[in-house]
Amino acid sequence: MVSLPFCGEGKEVRVREIKGGKRALERLSSLGIYPGAKLEVLNTKGGPVLVKVGESRIGLGFGIASKVFVEEER
Amino acid sequence: MGKLKVAFVGNPNVGKTALINAIAGTKLKVGNWPGVTVEKKEATVKVDGKELYLVDLPGVYSLSPFTIEERITRDFLLKERPDVIVNVVDSTNLERNLYLTTQILELGIPTVIALNVWDEFRSLGYSLNLDKFEELLGVKAVPTVATKGEGVKELLRLITEEEIPIPKPPTYSQDLEYFIKKVEPYVPKGMPKRWTSLKILEEDELILKELSDKSAQAVKGILRELESFFGESGNSVVAEERYGFIRGVLKQTLREPVGKKRTLTDVLDAIFLNRLLGIPTFLLIIYLVFKLTFDGSGPLIDWTDGFINDFVAKWVSAAISGLPEWLQSLIVDGIIGGVGTVLTFVPLLLFLYFFLALLEESGYMARAAFVMDRLMRVIGLPGKSFVPMIIGFGCNVPAIYATRTLESERDRKLTALLVPFMSCGARLPIYALFTAVFFKEHQAEVVFSMYVIGIVVAATVGVLLKKFFFKGSAEAFVMELPPYRIPTLKMLWTSISVKLGAFLKKAGTVITATMVLLWALINVPYGAPPKDTILGKTASAIAPLFYPTGIKSWEPVAALIPGTIAKEVVVGALGQLYGVGEDEEEGEEKSSFTQDLKEQVVGFGQAVKDSFVAMFGSFKTGVFEVESEEGPVSKAISKAFTPLSAFSYMVLCLLWIPCIVTLGAIYQEFGTRLTLASITLTTIVPYVVSTLVYVGGRLIGIN
Ligand SMILES: Nc1nc2c(ncn2[C@@H]2O[C@H](COP(=O)(O)OP(=O)(O)OP(=O)(O)O)[C@@H](O)[C@H]2O)c(=O)[nH]1
Ligand SMILES: [Mg+2]
Repeated sequence: MVSLPFCGEGKEVRVREIKGGKRALERLSSLGIYPGAKLEVLNTKGGPVLVKVGESRIGLGFGIASKVFVEEER
Repeated sequence: MGKLKVAFVGNPNVGKTALINAIAGTKLKVGNWPGVTVEKKEATVKVDGKELYLVDLPGVYSLSPFTIEERITRDFLLKERPDVIVNVVDSTNLERNLYLTTQILELGIPTVIALNVWDEFRSLGYSLNLDKFEELLGVKAVPTVATKGEGVKELLRLITEEEIPIPKPPTYSQDLEYFIKKVEPYVPKGMPKRWTSLKILEEDELILKELSDKSAQAVKGILRELESFFGESGNSVVAEERYGFIRGVLKQTLREPVGKKRTLTDVLDAIFLNRLLGIPTFLLIIYLVFKLTFDGSGPLIDWTDGFINDFVAKWVSAAISGLPEWLQSLIVDGIIGGVGTVLTFVPLLLFLYFFLALLEESGYMARAAFVMDRLMRVIGLPGKSFVPMIIGFGCNVPAIYATRTLESERDRKLTALLVPFMSCGARLPIYALFTAVFFKEHQAEVVFSMYVIGIVVAATVGVLLKKFFFKGSAEAFVMELPPYRIPTLKMLWTSISVKLGAFLKKAGTVITATMVLLWALINVPYGAPPKDTILGKTASAIAPLFYPTGIKSWEPVAALIPGTIAKEVVVGALGQLYGVGEDEEEGEEKSSFTQDLKEQVVGFGQAVKDSFVAMFGSFKTGVFEVESEEGPVSKAISKAFTPLSAFSYMVLCLLWIPCIVTLGAIYQEFGTRLTLASITLTTIVPYVVSTLVYVGGRLIGIN
């Protein structure tokens, strides 16, 4: 399990756990990022983390992205 | 039956506003980034004799609000209870979109789903079993393409012809249902039962606050029990259950494409979001916007200038020569000289609005926020604050309202204080006037430098404000980046015409009134030299204050003060102030009205041609020759200013109190204290910066 900013770019991952407060949790889950969700990591360096959830692309600042712990799918 | 109140609810950027525009023929603002609609908007249509009252609401990802705009949507649904909800979803992101849908279905309000963006859904290779989808969700659904008007008829037919049933809310696992039952008795009266029960389990603060002490106590116990049962907070449990339900539905209905295609968005993002190229690309884009705006509009401005000053002024003067002298002066000097000077710059705004609309519609806006996030953090703001700032390049007023999409009050206030430093369209005429006289060779570069100075000043002020007043750090960056879309001409035109219409209205009302007032101030007592008039005396008295900024005469000072009402007034006022006293050079060769008119038409054709050549002929600016004779204003300016003091004056105008409407917006959104803070900032900062420019320039030997 690694936190999102430390994932390899281009990897498909599954969210395992979100270690954040209620606020962060609610925000992320309303954007489709919840334990069990599949993400594609597009961009991790040089700015916010960019992930693809379904067809939508979501930018997450480092702080909030590092609360999302994921496991590589493949 | 009376009016049917239909609310459009959905995630941000799914096309709610576009759908309403398609139905009602309205021109509400649409844009390809999340958070375009930040307040409730209404439209009415009559369909088969039935009156529909459509309500456009800000986009939300869930019914638990983080921002003011999201709160508007929730409050509307709970307090005003629409008759029908049209839940607009982005078909290409069903899983995420249906998260909100599950919450909507619990409200107990008749609902239909508009499966919007169906065109992209199809071209990406998805397919959906619609009947099954409707059956599982228990509501009717219609595929739509808002931008093309597809599916609008069917949607309307659904709303008007059928009795829409109250949907059956999704059922969750037995364990969760047990807890839902358990909190139900504590739901406050008048709130939808199931929805509120679930919100309580999600630990929704707004609801928990509304509970009586006794209920709150009991609910706390239940929440603790739930947490120990599931080993997770209620919030996570409910979210996972909702998604569980959604995945169940989609598994049976949605067919995803096999294999992935690299889309246009992937390709463009590789450039625009590149860690090294991102920011330079942003700067290049902004530079191009202003270069093209200037080069393209230059020849047309010259033409309009000639049209108003040579053609309209001449023939109007001829037509009213019978009127009393003072009235002639009011019309010719006050209105044509003042308002006319402002209208000269319509082509400039036309081009600016066009390119800004292109930015807004293409999907680049959210990318700019993304790449600027790191830099913005230095001044204590999230990258998202950059969206209002770019909007501010068009007009500061919507930019102030656009701050509503920011999550924290601190970020909102700080952003609102910095927005006025973003150079809006109304300031462009000032630069156009001065650069045409002093920096003909480098017009676009000098104007671009104004924008850069605005940004740098905003950044510096931001750092200082963060250090002393706005401690703490910016809210986390969380933003959806929409797919790039090729804007349709119709959309661009709507966007431009709405803004241009607003500008013309402003010219016809506020600016005209100010010009008439100003004319009175300059002409009382009538016939006296301008310096001895009321305005002349007042401005002369305070002019010495501005000496350090390099402004040594009273007229520019006199123009700046009414410029506080609207920035365009500055050029109009200069037009009046310098126009007065300069007797019109009569004795031009006599020509007939039709001759003159023909000349204008031919001139216009030439101007359009020049505009194209100027925009695309070369990458460097200044290819077109300014053809018109120098007007009295230009002549007077070249006498009253040096290049350095002109530059300093442009900076002063750039940073000076934006306009009364912007201040009004700040007051409405934030109250007295922040408005006063804004006024203080936008008087002290410009004074200091202009002085630095002037004194600094003198020190290194520039004049
Ligand atoms: N391809 C396609 N684009 C669409 C469709 N509907 C809307 N759009 C585009 O999607 C973008 C967002 O549209 P808006 O109507 O502003 O979305 P909104 O839901 O009102 O967004 P907010 O006000 O930010 O919540 C715009 O660029 C529209 O042109 C559609 O059916 N197909
Ligand atoms: Mg909208």
